[in-house]
Amino acid sequence: MFSRRQILQSASAGFGYLAFAGISSAQAAEEASRDPLAAKDPHFEPRAKRVIFLCMGGGPSHVDTFDYKPELNRDHGKPGRYGGSLLKSPWDFRQRGESGLWISDLFPEVAGMADDLTLVRSMQCDQPVHAGAMTQIHTGTAQFIRPSLGAWTLYGLGTENDSLPGFVSLSPPSGSSRNYGSAFLPSIFGGTKIGRASRGGQQRSRGGASESVPDIRNRSLTADQQRTQLNLIQALNREKVRRDQYQPGVEGIIESYELAFRMQDAMPALMDTSEETEATLDMYGVDGGPTDGFGKQCLLARRFAEAGVRFIEVTHQGWDQHSNLSVDHKARAEACDRPIAGLLKDLKQRDMLKDTLVIWGGEFGRTPAAQGGDGRNHNNKGYTTWMAGGGVKGGFSYGATDEHGYEAVENKCHIHDWHATILHLLGLDHEQLTYRYAGRDFRLTDVHGNVAKDILA
Amino acid sequence: MWPRSGRNSLARHINGRFMNSIRFAVLLLATLSVSPTLADELTPEQLSFFETKIRPVLIRECYGCHSNKSGNVRGGLRLDSKELMLIGGATGPAIVPGNLEDSWLYNAITHQDYVMPPKRKLPQSVIDDFRTWIEMGAPDPRVNTITKINSKITKEDIQRAKDNFWAYQKPLKNTPPVVKDANWPRSEVDRFVLAKLEQSELKPAADAEPWKVLRRLTFDLVGLPPTPDEVSSFASAWKRSPERAIASVVDRLLESDQYGERWGRHWLDVARYGESTGREVNMTYPQAWRYRDYVVDSFNDDKPFDRFIQEQIAGDLLPVKTDEQWTENLIATTFLAIGSKNLNEQNRVQFAANVVDEQIDATTRVFLGMSVACARCHDHKFDAIPQADYYAMAGIFQSMQTYFGNPQSTEYGSYSGAQEKQTSTLLILPTDDPNSFDARYSPTELQEIKDEMVSKRREMAESRRSGGNSGANAQRQRIVFQNTMAKLSAKLASVNENGRPLTFSMGVQERDKPSNAKILVRGEIDQPAQTVARGFPQVITDGPTGIRSKSSGRLELARWIGSDDNPLTARVMVNRIWLHMIGNGIVTSTENFGTTGQTPSHPELLDHLAVRFMESGWSVKSVVREIATSRVYRMASTFNEQHHEHDPDNALVWRANPRRLDAEAIRDAMLSISGEIDLDRPRASVVAQAGFTRVQNGQLESPMPGMGGARPEAGQQGRPQQGRLQPAGQRRPGGRPRGPTGRPGGPMGGPRGPGGRVQNPLDMENAKFRSVYLPIVRDEEPRSLDVFDLADSSTITGQRELSNTANQSLYMMNNPLVQQQSEAFARRLASSSSRVSEQIEQAFLLTYGRPPTTGERAATSAFIRQFSPSTAYRDREAATMTALCQSLFASAEFRYID
Repeated sequence: MFSRRQILQSASAGFGYLAFAGISSAQAAEEASRDPLAAKDPHFEPRAKRVIFLCMGGGPSHVDTFDYKPELNRDHGKPGRYGGSLLKSPWDFRQRGESGLWISDLFPEVAGMADDLTLVRSMQCDQPVHAGAMTQIHTGTAQFIRPSLGAWTLYGLGTENDSLPGFVSLSPPSGSSRNYGSAFLPSIFGGTKIGRASRGGQQRSRGGASESVPDIRNRSLTADQQRTQLNLIQALNREKVRRDQYQPGVEGIIESYELAFRMQDAMPALMDTSEETEATLDMYGVDGGPTDGFGKQCLLARRFAEAGVRFIEVTHQGWDQHSNLSVDHKARAEACDRPIAGLLKDLKQRDMLKDTLVIWGGEFGRTPAAQGGDGRNHNNKGYTTWMAGGGVKGGFSYGATDEHGYEAVENKCHIHDWHATILHLLGLDHEQLTYRYAGRDFRLTDVHGNVAKDILA
Repeated sequence: MWPRSGRNSLARHINGRFMNSIRFAVLLLATLSVSPTLADELTPEQLSFFETKIRPVLIRECYGCHSNKSGNVRGGLRLDSKELMLIGGATGPAIVPGNLEDSWLYNAITHQDYVMPPKRKLPQSVIDDFRTWIEMGAPDPRVNTITKINSKITKEDIQRAKDNFWAYQKPLKNTPPVVKDANWPRSEVDRFVLAKLEQSELKPAADAEPWKVLRRLTFDLVGLPPTPDEVSSFASAWKRSPERAIASVVDRLLESDQYGERWGRHWLDVARYGESTGREVNMTYPQAWRYRDYVVDSFNDDKPFDRFIQEQIAGDLLPVKTDEQWTENLIATTFLAIGSKNLNEQNRVQFAANVVDEQIDATTRVFLGMSVACARCHDHKFDAIPQADYYAMAGIFQSMQTYFGNPQSTEYGSYSGAQEKQTSTLLILPTDDPNSFDARYSPTELQEIKDEMVSKRREMAESRRSGGNSGANAQRQRIVFQNTMAKLSAKLASVNENGRPLTFSMGVQERDKPSNAKILVRGEIDQPAQTVARGFPQVITDGPTGIRSKSSGRLELARWIGSDDNPLTARVMVNRIWLHMIGNGIVTSTENFGTTGQTPSHPELLDHLAVRFMESGWSVKSVVREIATSRVYRMASTFNEQHHEHDPDNALVWRANPRRLDAEAIRDAMLSISGEIDLDRPRASVVAQAGFTRVQNGQLESPMPGMGGARPEAGQQGRPQQGRLQPAGQRRPGGRPRGPTGRPGGPMGGPRGPGGRVQNPLDMENAKFRSVYLPIVRDEEPRSLDVFDLADSSTITGQRELSNTANQSLYMMNNPLVQQQSEAFARRLASSSSRVSEQIEQAFLLTYGRPPTTGERAATSAFIRQFSPSTAYRDREAATMTALCQSLFASAEFRYID
């Protein structure tokens, strides 16, 4: 790929930075044509062009959703492997669609799309606690600060719309910026936070223009005036970079101003969902009820995807049911089932599902044994995520956990394998997608990762 | 939750002479305080009563749905052991021995809020049996067999860790190493750093230019930029002697009140300061600001840090001479009460266990850099902390009661709103320090409130007696009643008998009797194992803890943490100070000094600073001074490619780290440079003004109609009025009064800002006081701080993130606060000189601390030539200068200290 220096130089290329940097003019011309966010060729023919990651915070229970365990029903009440007694799922499982995938009644609408899903029922990660596992699912490690999956994707592929961030995270929980950060990659590859988790539901009317991007408009300057002002800001910034020689923070600021300037036009249009039809809003469950909040997020995700954004993450929190599983897991699922199914259908009807990879998953699953009678503990040794569209098989189940769902035993899919597979679907070889930092080549999968070839369509 | 009465006057023995001024509220943990003897020693009569009249009914009528064997337990309730009954289900304990009103099982079989068994009512004789049984203390022989948990961590493992792991050895006074370049060091700190650099054949960067050093010092010590005058006098002093120039500035800054606002905010980051519960039901903490002010004052007073620790962990237990001191100590214990809480947690025992867990986590990570809370469910996976150590500490914390809610207890009982599943009242402070916006009532009004409470209670009692009114209707009626009573109760409880407002604080108090905790299997409240004695983590204690049976051990814990013998406390704090001044911790994992944490880059230096800290009498200012006057501190940030290849993270400190300013400093610097800053401390917080209420979508609002009264009448319902907060006119408890009262200021502006944009009242874009006093409502932090990586107020944050994002660019280009400040900045320049070139010169001096370079002069001239014709003739100069000033605020150099 590119050297650090090349990236830095090209990153600041728009406004005569290269003249300051003293690079020969031929070289400068070549560098100047290279916007760090410009679309780049993948390593090989991609199956998917973009990703929508539906991130389920808190750890949804696999044995109550997508991992059917008849033995758990049978052995209900018996001692679990690590203590506690086994708890059968409060929800019935049924076979769905042509494929007959077993999915529980927690997700009736998503179950209706079973023939488009690949269930990965053998997930594993190394972290038994939320923060660590959440960071690992995003960056591959909980130990070090590393670029997130979305940042690697953007670094590898660039984006198709330079007026929008190439990687967005919709209403992420506070304190989670490490999970969508760029770490040592240039900061332009980091995720841009859109909206705040706590203020996610403040859009007033159904499908109306949203105010969830603060400070998106300037009310005293014309666009020309603002560009003139921005030229001064950038001139000052470039002077600083020139003096400091190596200053990734300031380079990040320069890039972020250019992006922000362009976002001012593009974002309000993108966030304005007033042109969406009633039928579409219904499909996403944008109806003022419990599905409204997540429905809007999913609708926005589709709009970002349509606009050419490379990686879109949407978060749905609150799956951590150590107690009150039967009520709260149901409420969580109800809030997102229809929106997710709506997103899949909508992508399909727009012929976008074929090259949009939709991923669903939490940081881990939950134990088959009960906690306090009506709850389950964290389980990181075996759980389920799923993928749809973007070159994966439909109606397919990959891997398996043991009879009760404690641990992955067949075709184990560690987070590193999962990352390798996602990159593969995007046409990127996880071993080739490297970045040189402080004298070493880094990659998302470190020294691990095997592509789960079986799931490729 | 059913109102609980009759428990609001528990006599306490903390300090007899203050007793009358304090009303104590219900025990949050009624179920935990049940005396075990009630059931442990059953008489034959009790046993026979249970076996003949109670157990058969339970088996026949209840176990089908409510037992371990029944499968999916309805409402989380299990009735098949004594313990499980006391723990109860989603709504609360099934049985509270001796208390019919709180026993949900009784509520259900008498068909009040619940109807059980679902299809029919039990015969009256059976109901009477249950009544008798509960009233006699619910004697119950069904004791769980106690599991004994054997730790995999042996005494030998602990001893080995003690002997071998660096962080568990007491810090030693090291002789500073000999260095080759003996001319470079100015202090012992310098010799430790230089020696490491020389080992790696690296050279320290040259001294930074004086203006840079001054800018660094001023931002680091007080969070504000230096004035141009300060820059020029510092530069001339530097010519005579850099050391003396620095020393005198450091003294000046350490003496200023702005120092505590800067360093207090660092502490608020680790203390997870927030003015609301956060989580599912985000209810305000209207009294949290008292802790904020306490922290700021403590840093300004250079309160010995060991004392500061003791006050926060056990302020309520420290001996005091005056009411003022007692007040200060009580406010300090807010540290234990201020964590985020899930008020939606249905189960009281679970809630209490979670509160204790949060307190253990905060106490150990903040002060000791140790995560004992990892051992809640099992032995610590990596450190020598057995699960029993966690429960030894849990015993200490469960022996106290935590106050975080709203005044709610009166002579008529204790009431809270139906939505707040878990609540508590507040401490009443012994000194009189109410806010001017606190409600007061006339004798007539007081009487009206009382009359209304009496009549509501009578109505309710009659409605209950008449019966026949069950199911949904009754439930609705009860919720209305409860909310009304909560509202009235809060009014009555917030004033004294003359209707004058009382002064409240969050905090903690000891329970009557300390108790030991049981280890919980996998941390589950319904899986108790053996009891462990109260104590401290073994791996960092030598010998006995000295906890006597009558004492909870909290005071002993506080003294042990803040003692010279503790190997961790001083190290953890000096590491924080180093981080804030140098940009990297010596130990980069600031809250984790355990085996999974990072090892120190300079272990001897860490010990040196720790020992010096303790020797100075735990003076934070003395450590700040020692670092600020070192040569390390004044290095330039000059980049060096070979050094970077060798040490990309600058762990060895071969240059100064270029650092982005933190959120507060960016906002305060804009206000300071524009000349608009108000350095007076505002009274309280907009959250205090709003009172106890729920926060949603950035609005301080009532959880539901009829619940607004949880807030004393502050003049309006609904949104708080955004007036200027009241200046502190009264004696500030626990310290010297801080500054004169504020200038008369206009209202800060309504909820609508320029251009009809809907403003978030919690953003407070028009406020001019320092950022540390902006409201920090969890998940609703002001935009001006949130956008620049304010610490997440729900978690302990030793080191903030420092990002550069497009959101920040949008903020700098378009936010009304930035625009207002740019206008004010331009006005200030215009009044200083009529010549544009002089204005520009001055503008750079104010924002960067230096005059513009040739390139920058050219860029600004070009800007003026291009921008100015595009503006209206009338205010051409002002508009152009405003845009130019905004560009300076927006530029990278403004937000960096190099």
